[in-house]
Amino acid sequence: MSLVSGPGRGGSGGSVPDELKLVVDRHVKYIQSLDTRQDELEYWLTEHLRLNGVYWGLTALHLLGHPEALPRDATIDFVLSCQHENGGFGAAPGHDAHMLYTVSAVQILATVDAVEELDRKGKAGGEKVGEYIASLQDPMTGSFAGDEWGEIDTRFLFGAFNALSLLHLLSLVDVPKAVAHVQGCGNFDGGYGVSPGAESHAGQIYTCVGALAIAGRLDLVDRDRLGGWLSERQLPNGGLNGRPEKLEDVCYSWWVLTSLAMIDRIHWIDGEKLTQFILQCQDLDKGGIADRPGDMVDVFHTVFGIAGLSLLGFPGLQAVDPIYCMPKAITSRIFGR
Amino acid sequence: MSHGIPRGSGVQPATAEDRQKELQKIKDYKGLVESVHLRIQERQYTIDTLDLTTKLLRWNPEFYTIWNHRRLIMRHILSAGSGEDGQGFKTSHDASVNIISDELSFLLPLMRKYPKCYWIWNYRLWLLEQSTHYLPAVAGRQLWQQELALASKMLSLDSRNFHGWGYRRTVVNALESPELQSDGSASTLTEQEFDYTTKMINTNLSNFSAWHTRSKLIPKVLTKKQADKVARRKFLDEELELIQRALWAGSEDQSLWFYHQNLMSTFDPKYAADSMAPDLSGEERLEYVTQEIGRIQEMLDGAEDCKWIYQSLISLSILYKCLSGKWPVGQSVIGHWVDELAKLDPLRANRWADLRRDLGAP
Ligand SMILES: [Zn+2]
Repeated sequence: MSLVSGPGRGGSGGSVPDELKLVVDRHVKYIQSLDTRQDELEYWLTEHLRLNGVYWGLTALHLLGHPEALPRDATIDFVLSCQHENGGFGAAPGHDAHMLYTVSAVQILATVDAVEELDRKGKAGGEKVGEYIASLQDPMTGSFAGDEWGEIDTRFLFGAFNALSLLHLLSLVDVPKAVAHVQGCGNFDGGYGVSPGAESHAGQIYTCVGALAIAGRLDLVDRDRLGGWLSERQLPNGGLNGRPEKLEDVCYSWWVLTSLAMIDRIHWIDGEKLTQFILQCQDLDKGGIADRPGDMVDVFHTVFGIAGLSLLGFPGLQAVDPIYCMPKAITSRIFGR
Repeated sequence: MSHGIPRGSGVQPATAEDRQKELQKIKDYKGLVESVHLRIQERQYTIDTLDLTTKLLRWNPEFYTIWNHRRLIMRHILSAGSGEDGQGFKTSHDASVNIISDELSFLLPLMRKYPKCYWIWNYRLWLLEQSTHYLPAVAGRQLWQQELALASKMLSLDSRNFHGWGYRRTVVNALESPELQSDGSASTLTEQEFDYTTKMINTNLSNFSAWHTRSKLIPKVLTKKQADKVARRKFLDEELELIQRALWAGSEDQSLWFYHQNLMSTFDPKYAADSMAPDLSGEERLEYVTQEIGRIQEMLDGAEDCKWIYQSLISLSILYKCLSGKWPVGQSVIGHWVDELAKLDPLRANRWADLRRDLGAP
């Protein structure tokens, strides 16, 4: 079982009615259909997103209240088929191990309550997965690489904190040094970049604030300044952009919104207008959510659209954990809170 | 993930023949993937294998594992060149330069076609790092120098390209590193890069990337100049003039206001230590703040619907009060500014409500 992450070709570009609702059943069907597109070339060209795709689809289904819509055993089998002996996971069988996919693997297993399957059926047990992640930390700078080839990015640092905390193995890494690295990525606008010196960017802010939240160091964030910059991401049509002078987008809307939530400033934007913007990005006939109204849908924007609606308190959705982008009921179970 | 692709724009295979063609393509693609994997498993790090990865990566540059395979092949070829494989086969440095140059040229059209594909950029940087390792400093430096020109060219085409600015920063760091100095002396491009941001800002004021980069370079420029208090004040005054001129030209431009806010931090005891003039006295800070309040108030004339002006006036007033213990204008004036701000910016109504609360509802 695996889900394709590309936009596909279908979809209807029909006009959007004024009174919008969330077409839950269509979204569920859309996500389920992603496993049945092997006869499209794109299915094969997007293999590098396969494991992320399962995380995105599964999380969307849980938030929609349909956790059973993907078969649990097949999901676990697919995840384990992507594992390498060093503990890390690739995007799909035959793809090299990398932080991004290792994090998705851990998140999926945590969501379906199957972390112990690593020890039972994995090519390497849970402890080894933690060691793989920890091996990617630079002991000098505290930063994390994506894989053995050494690319550094605050996305990988957050990914490491995310997966290790879900495995209760955060003690394997130097948390204070990593926190200092995050601080070094801070900018005058209160935001954070991909590395020291880099411009603030909503996606990168999410990863840095998320990492500080997991480390229990949100005291280091300049909440008013960052909150101000983030709130200015909202544009008149209700959608949010990721940097000044850029277009609005459902995925950036999530990263900005959840960062605001983590620093208790979610009320600084117009939630009602953002809700309307996300609803307008749905494909009402075939299901799925796009980056902007009228564009092609994909599972990536589908999960972040639904997660955004959940965080905005949209009726009928399961609560989302703003740090992990997983169902709150599941992170509560894992962290016993 | 997809961005900006209109719904319904994909071509559905209409006929049985089309579907057959697509299935054949899938077969070709999977066959190519299979043969590359197999050769790498067998450690066939040869030119033939390299050519197969070329074909595959042109088809699908997002396939990160294939970039990793290509690294293995490159490392093998280059280390053979430096006689590290123990086969007694030595390539000259010239040959290594050619190999790396060819590789860099192979990447160029891919970067143009897929400007947002992270893996291509990573691979290019990895390759350049190899050049630092395998080539003498002069030859390595030349390659990196060309990259700086490339970054300039990309940014002239798209002045906000996120990868472009990041790439430029990495290239500059490399050019400043001791490994790339032929005489081992320290080298810095700080001033050259600072001038570059001025040039980019003069071309287009709405360039948050350039303002950001400027904020990061200023402390370095001042440190390098060993600027004393007088020199720092002079620098600050020039920045204040620059942002004033910019704000008069584009008072609705949020990039400019964020940079203005950054400059105002110089006068805020909470931020001053990290600013370009950390040792201003309390009186000097108050003088600057008073001057700015006057200047921004002038801007209001004819731009009464610009929310940024009110926002700036309010935060400057708060700073004034923090420095002097009293408000710069009557509290009813500040109350009026908050009212205007809330009226002009309903999206952030709750933010302004919080502000009103923090001000003690003047
Ligand atoms: Zn997006």
